[in-house]
Amino acid sequence: MDNNKLQAKDFITIGIFTALLFVVEFACGILGFIHPYIVASYVIMIPIVGSVPMMLFYTKIEKFGMLSIMSVLLAIIMFVTGMGYLGAPLIIGAGVIADLIAKSGGYKSFKKTVLSHGVFCLWICANYFPVIVTADSYRKNLVDGGYSTEYCDNLFRAINSKTIAVLLILCFVFGVIGAFIGKAVVKKHFEKAGIV
Amino acid sequence: MALKLDPRTKLFMIFIVSAVVMMSATTPLLWAVRITMTMIPIFLLIAEKHYAAALRFIVLYSAALLISFKFLSENSKGFLSAFLVGYCSIIVQFMPAVITAWYVVRTTKIGEFVSAMQKMHVPDGITISLAVVMRFFPTIKEEYSSIRDAMKMRGIMFGGGNVTDVVEYRMIPLLFSCVNIGDELSAAAVTRGLGGKVKRTSVQELKMGGADYMLILMFTAALVFFVVFKYMK
Repeated sequence: MDNNKLQAKDFITIGIFTALLFVVEFACGILGFIHPYIVASYVIMIPIVGSVPMMLFYTKIEKFGMLSIMSVLLAIIMFVTGMGYLGAPLIIGAGVIADLIAKSGGYKSFKKTVLSHGVFCLWICANYFPVIVTADSYRKNLVDGGYSTEYCDNLFRAINSKTIAVLLILCFVFGVIGAFIGKAVVKKHFEKAGIV
Repeated sequence: MALKLDPRTKLFMIFIVSAVVMMSATTPLLWAVRITMTMIPIFLLIAEKHYAAALRFIVLYSAALLISFKFLSENSKGFLSAFLVGYCSIIVQFMPAVITAWYVVRTTKIGEFVSAMQKMHVPDGITISLAVVMRFFPTIKEEYSSIRDAMKMRGIMFGGGNVTDVVEYRMIPLLFSCVNIGDELSAAAVTRGLGGKVKRTSVQELKMGGADYMLILMFTAALVFFVVFKYMK
């Protein structure tokens, strides 16, 4: 048996955790309707809340490819739910790099896992890509349509091509912080119960 | 059952609708195209006897449309109207994709989906994982509502206590049951020969019918129409 190839069981694990991660993202996404600034704070919420399923997922990873496939699935789901294809390269790129980092630690080293989770969290920024890339025409549409300039200003002040760098860094930082929180939660609940 | 569509047609529909959702409609003509495209999955839902869902989508979508059109002409000021218009325009923007995705997930059997993906030569890994994702959303919902009931019985509610507790009390049991379900699922799948070396056959025979070609034609025409009128004029 070739042990380095992914088995059906691995694919099912990927599917389950992708679904869970998407539910977390969706729950946070609903909050974003309230105010544009909350949309910007996805970079804080999703890494931290999502870290619990992710860290549990990391304990199940043993082979290369699981994180990469997960990122492909996320890209597909983002496309299907109308977030567009613009973010897909970022999502998949982040997934593959995170996968390589975790692989270099043999999927066991905690340090590498933390780093890898930080990189993986960069996919969240793909949510903002439609706003940034089509910024000018998007804004024009909104203002022409009679939106209050206040709302537009808030949205574009929080998210534009300048702040995207900050948002990316925040994603990484909170991804790393989230990894510690997630690890603690996994330890507290799952290792005690003997599931991991 | 009046209308049985091929999963490939459904995927094509998702593809087109998502592409159109990305482009904002500016003229009444473009709005008409978009609204027509949104109506098609709703009619398909009715044809598949998902009346409640269809009604819900119609009410939500038309309410959002009405509000955003009514206020779009005026200059909306103040927090509440800006909030309302922003909210409604988001719904109007993304609703078509959500409706189509909901329709596809609800009406496609997993077997059909897998065999369609196989016919399109998508790698097995992606097919299986995607199929699990599709199958899993209803399961998560179900598990979550039983967990919520259990929590209510013990007097743990939303609003009481701090945020981390609320997240922890719901997420951890959910993760537990999802992991267990996953193990059972893979055991069941492996006994049915998933992940074997041989090429799998499928009980579901997929065939493109007249309705399939008609819908594909309609959606392609809508996309072309949309792009031409938005960018060529």
